[in-house]
Amino acid sequence: MDPIVGFLAAAIRIGTPLAWAALGEVVAERAGVINLSVEGAMLAGALGGALGAVATGDPWLGVVIGALAGAAISAAFALVAIWGRTDQIIAGTAVTLASVGLTGLIYRQAAAGSTTGLDVQTLEPVAIPGLSAIPVVGPALFDQPVLTYLVMAAAPLVWWLLFRTTWGLRLRAGGESAEAARAAGVDVRLTQTVAVVIGGVLAGVAGATLVLAQVGSFAERMTAGRGFIAIAIVVLGRWHPLGVMVAAGAFGAATALQFAFQALGLEVPYQFFLMLPYLLALVALTGVVGRVRAPAGLGRRLEPADGG
Amino acid sequence: MRRSRRWFGWVGILAAGVGCGGGAKPPAGFRVALITPGSIADAAWNAGAYAGLQWIKDSLGVEVSHQEARTPGAQEEALRTYAAQGYDLVFGHGFEFQQPAERVTGEHPKTVIVVTSGERVQGNVAPLVFRIEEGTFLAGMMAGALSKTGKIGFVGGIELPPIKKGYEGWVNGARRMNPSIDSKVAYLNTFDDASAGREAALAMIRLGVDMFHHNADEAAKGLFQAAKESPNVFVFGANADQSELAPDRVYGSAIIDLPRAFLAVAREVKGGTFVPKVESFGLAGGVIRYVSNPRVAVAPDLEAKVTAARDSIVAGTLLPVPPS
Repeated sequence: MDPIVGFLAAAIRIGTPLAWAALGEVVAERAGVINLSVEGAMLAGALGGALGAVATGDPWLGVVIGALAGAAISAAFALVAIWGRTDQIIAGTAVTLASVGLTGLIYRQAAAGSTTGLDVQTLEPVAIPGLSAIPVVGPALFDQPVLTYLVMAAAPLVWWLLFRTTWGLRLRAGGESAEAARAAGVDVRLTQTVAVVIGGVLAGVAGATLVLAQVGSFAERMTAGRGFIAIAIVVLGRWHPLGVMVAAGAFGAATALQFAFQALGLEVPYQFFLMLPYLLALVALTGVVGRVRAPAGLGRRLEPADGG
Repeated sequence: MRRSRRWFGWVGILAAGVGCGGGAKPPAGFRVALITPGSIADAAWNAGAYAGLQWIKDSLGVEVSHQEARTPGAQEEALRTYAAQGYDLVFGHGFEFQQPAERVTGEHPKTVIVVTSGERVQGNVAPLVFRIEEGTFLAGMMAGALSKTGKIGFVGGIELPPIKKGYEGWVNGARRMNPSIDSKVAYLNTFDDASAGREAALAMIRLGVDMFHHNADEAAKGLFQAAKESPNVFVFGANADQSELAPDRVYGSAIIDLPRAFLAVAREVKGGTFVPKVESFGLAGGVIRYVSNPRVAVAPDLEAKVTAARDSIVAGTLLPVPPS
């Protein structure tokens, strides 16, 4: 295989779960919620996807069950952070830690006595006729699992929902100024809850992607911090659904480059390449690529009057 | 708001109840504890240690306890807690427990702390040294002889000294059969990220690697998946018999019989014959072994060469990793 094609295909593969999770986080953050439970929702999505696919024998039902597991975790976060009016950072961290413990517990029950863990049927790459014949870009972009095509389709959909519908306007208004939105008749707590749960569904699909389109098995803590990387991607993508897709691709490329360099035996410490994506995020935050502005109400605890 | 406050109160009471569940047992007879640096559901390094602990419990009829501790701080705290509770024997399962164990033994000299893959003796701290390079050497011989492309690959979790030594044994074994073998290696910086394990393997497969070995615990699940997806790519299992992970793509595994080693040490400590020393295990005692997968046959003369090398290593005439 052409090494460039191989590298690009790896970048897209690695970027796909990051794109799903970051797209969900954009929705939550635009509504004013910084959701650190995305890592936990992803992990729940991975386990839900694995168990769902094993139980039903259908990987697609696994994706659905993974999405529901992600939604359940994010609903728990919404309950504590939005309805319980606790600090969002602390609530998100706690829910993620709880998910790490819970998924480990359930997995050990499910895989007890097995020497192989869960053996899950994976979703094979599907080449798109015509497009996959384009030189270089074709086989890299258009010979991927269907979950990759779906996230490419989901990004413009999320953009349309956020920026072209009344629902999106109300959601973003709540994220900028909860008081003003409430004065205009928006139920801020409700829109934030819906946004967080949508984010959880997408994070669940992100986790299911790891299991059902990549590894074919579950491992405890297998998300390995991807949820937190997704939050950095949202910053790098400037809280925009399409920007986030580009940023996820950049993270995927940096990671793929790291594996390619190690395989080639280059005498550069691999930690250097692991660092690259985070440097990108820092550069984005310093404003080199233009002014970055987070939603004004991001992470702010709602006053009792805000939600009515 | 009133109703939801009360609800949170109940959650707090429930959480406190769960937290207290395990405590307050009076100290009893001989007690053994195990601290693993990762999940005991990894079908390899940590699972083997847990099986060893269960074997100790069943064979010696003693009380056992297990904890998972992933960070240096948590590992030291877990060691200290068991020692303070008067456990007679504590296994710190990995090289990373050496320094915490040395600090804890000064405070609690009665507890024997055994560091699996440790470095040196200090106080009542004794290392179990597994000469895994003896097993990986035999796996490497197979890989060197069987590789059609002349390229072999190794995926490691973190570049710890025992893991590096296992890798060196693997390469030396392969070079014994094919001196011009091209060896590639990648470290993931994690033992959990199975997706990274798959990508590291795929990056090497793109360069023509067709024989793999690993020491990456859970993350290696992705490596087995990459082999299953790619034609003519094979894996050699590590630390446990991993043939089941890809039944027609595993020639064999370089295993550590952790339960056997753990039970041997526990017997000595319980019997009062234990003296802190470097407990070294290799092919000779059967703790390190190369086991082939009966479903994937290899030529009998290759089997014979590997068996001959095994005998030479046991006899001490062949060094898998010559001292540098």
